[in-house]
Amino acid sequence: MKGVLKKRLEPVESVWVIAATTCLSIFLALLFGGLLFIPFGANPMEAYGALFAESFTTWRGFGFTLVKATPLILISLGTIVAWRTGFGYLGFEGCLLIGAATATWVSLETVPNGLFGPLPFPIFILLAITAALVTGGIWAGIVGVFRGRFGGNEVITSLMMNYVAIFVVQYLVSGPLRAPGDLPQSPRLPRETWLPYFLEGTRAHSGVFIALACVLVVWIVLLKSKIGYELIVTGLNPKAARFGGINVGSRQIMAAFAAGGLGALAGLVEVLGVHHRLLDGLSEGTGFIGIVAALLGKLHPLGAVIASILYAGMAVGADAMQRKAGLPASIIFIVQSLIVLFILASDLLRYYTLKFPFFRTPTTPSVPPEKPEVKPIGT
Amino acid sequence: MELDFFSGAFFASWLAASVRLAGPLLLVALGELYSERSGVLNIGIEGTMLLGAIASYLVAWQSGSTWFGLMGGILIGCIAGTYLSWMYITVQASQVVVGIIFNIFALGVASYVYRLALRGVSGPQTVEMFKPIAIPFLSEIPFIGPVLFNHTILLYATAGLVAVAGYVLFRTKFGLNLRAVGENPAAAETAGIRVSHMRYMCVIISGAAAGASGAYLVLAQIGQFRDTIVAGQGFIALAIVIFGRWSPYKAALAALIFGAADALQLSIQLFQIDLPPQLFLSLPYVLTILAMSGLVGKANQPEALMVPYRKE
Repeated sequence: MKGVLKKRLEPVESVWVIAATTCLSIFLALLFGGLLFIPFGANPMEAYGALFAESFTTWRGFGFTLVKATPLILISLGTIVAWRTGFGYLGFEGCLLIGAATATWVSLETVPNGLFGPLPFPIFILLAITAALVTGGIWAGIVGVFRGRFGGNEVITSLMMNYVAIFVVQYLVSGPLRAPGDLPQSPRLPRETWLPYFLEGTRAHSGVFIALACVLVVWIVLLKSKIGYELIVTGLNPKAARFGGINVGSRQIMAAFAAGGLGALAGLVEVLGVHHRLLDGLSEGTGFIGIVAALLGKLHPLGAVIASILYAGMAVGADAMQRKAGLPASIIFIVQSLIVLFILASDLLRYYTLKFPFFRTPTTPSVPPEKPEVKPIGT
Repeated sequence: MELDFFSGAFFASWLAASVRLAGPLLLVALGELYSERSGVLNIGIEGTMLLGAIASYLVAWQSGSTWFGLMGGILIGCIAGTYLSWMYITVQASQVVVGIIFNIFALGVASYVYRLALRGVSGPQTVEMFKPIAIPFLSEIPFIGPVLFNHTILLYATAGLVAVAGYVLFRTKFGLNLRAVGENPAAAETAGIRVSHMRYMCVIISGAAAGASGAYLVLAQIGQFRDTIVAGQGFIALAIVIFGRWSPYKAALAALIFGAADALQLSIQLFQIDLPPQLFLSLPYVLTILAMSGLVGKANQPEALMVPYRKE
């Protein structure tokens, strides 16, 4: 790298440069992904055209895009709250599963002989949302307490909690919540508790409105309120926050609780809107793709929504492509991850300029001139 | 099958299975140990393992040689390690972010390449595997013999690498420098150690070990490839490193515990015990969570772990 990279005096902070590198990264990732279509005998341009046409121009495909985007939005919101508070939480797979299990349980108890008896849908959904927020919040809050009170490492603990959650769900669907039959899964949820479909002829369910409401809440609380300000300050500089009178530990626990609640809502919409039962292998990476979407959205609620819809559209298009043309849907994982990897790498250009030894351009020196070495007296 | 839980036969077969399952976990954890001791938390080993698995599978399949397969896995691990170290050290992106995204990338690549390779082939191909080698005399010792001395060459090599890691990390100047870089990179740099070179080397070592471990899964345990072949074993290796308190010998013990829990749930179904197998399965994870929670004394992790170092 030496000789090619030259350090800038100041990192480039211009919004336009950041936007340009983001667009360039998306373009490069799509270009690279396009090459992967060729060995399968598909024209990259046509393949991409079909991919995005399926998910954004057909009514049915757009419905699926919304369905896929809903949990991604919720998880990316959770990521935003946690990461902006400096709480590097990675346990959204686990939160999703815990939220799904909670919603399943509440739904299965909302029957004539159940714990809650039959409830009108609005009351049921409020109850289910509250329950999921509480269990998911506690689930992530445990990690938050470890970090905020006892100084534990949240990255590793949250990754491990994902596995514990997988085992909890495996236990539930093979034991207490198991439906009669061969498959380890819960009984089908009563139809009255399903999230209603709202677009004629599509699978789009009203969970997307829960997600959008959360976007609004996170935006207002995190970016416009005093408590949100304290959270962000905690993330930016915990030392300064502490001197400013903010209880850093309690803010981290608060962020953990909120992130866990949002992650659990992703599980709730998946169960009540898509699968209509609890099953093993419910999540399959949604908890991680949501984090990636949040990063692509620059940890801003609006950016996260756009990124989630983009990623959901890619996934839907890729699935359709695999069904119709036999092209592997895994190409889209490559594109989705490359986008953010390229963006991260392009940060290098904000700190360094490229210097090619053969092209001498009359640039201003980007490194401060070296001070003449002063030898201490006596050496 | 009628088996007594406390019978010697059950115990021996359970322990032998534990050792067998612990092998790949220990191998990748040993590599991660170098990386974390030098201050880099390489979460990308999960994806690197998957890439090592697919590479070794394809090479072993095409060449018909198990050894070439192993080398293919190690080579791709080195390449992945080089890329990851560039992102961690030169670009200085967040180690957690890069690792997590790299794992998704690797999943996409492995599954794409696998589908590409299987076109025009009838069904998944099985590759030649490493055979267990019974060590003369030692393997005939009752109980201990079948548990410890009837495994593949890969397991013996991994056991040897534990001692190597113990020696290199704690008995050589290189190891001292490496640990210094992980504890206090600024002081190390002042003392003339090139921090970024050291970290590059350690992350590449961890990549090579992860690639080899992926090859281990294919060439000594399954003989095939699937997208779910790794399924979190790289993350478990992170737990093993922490649970083993960043020491190779304790990591070996930790790997054995994780392997034993895994093996137990396989054999627990033979007995009519009214405990959910998930209880045993989750035990190692719960223990790791407690070890990292800060509740039971600070885990003495390398001071500069996860902190990028920028030379001033």
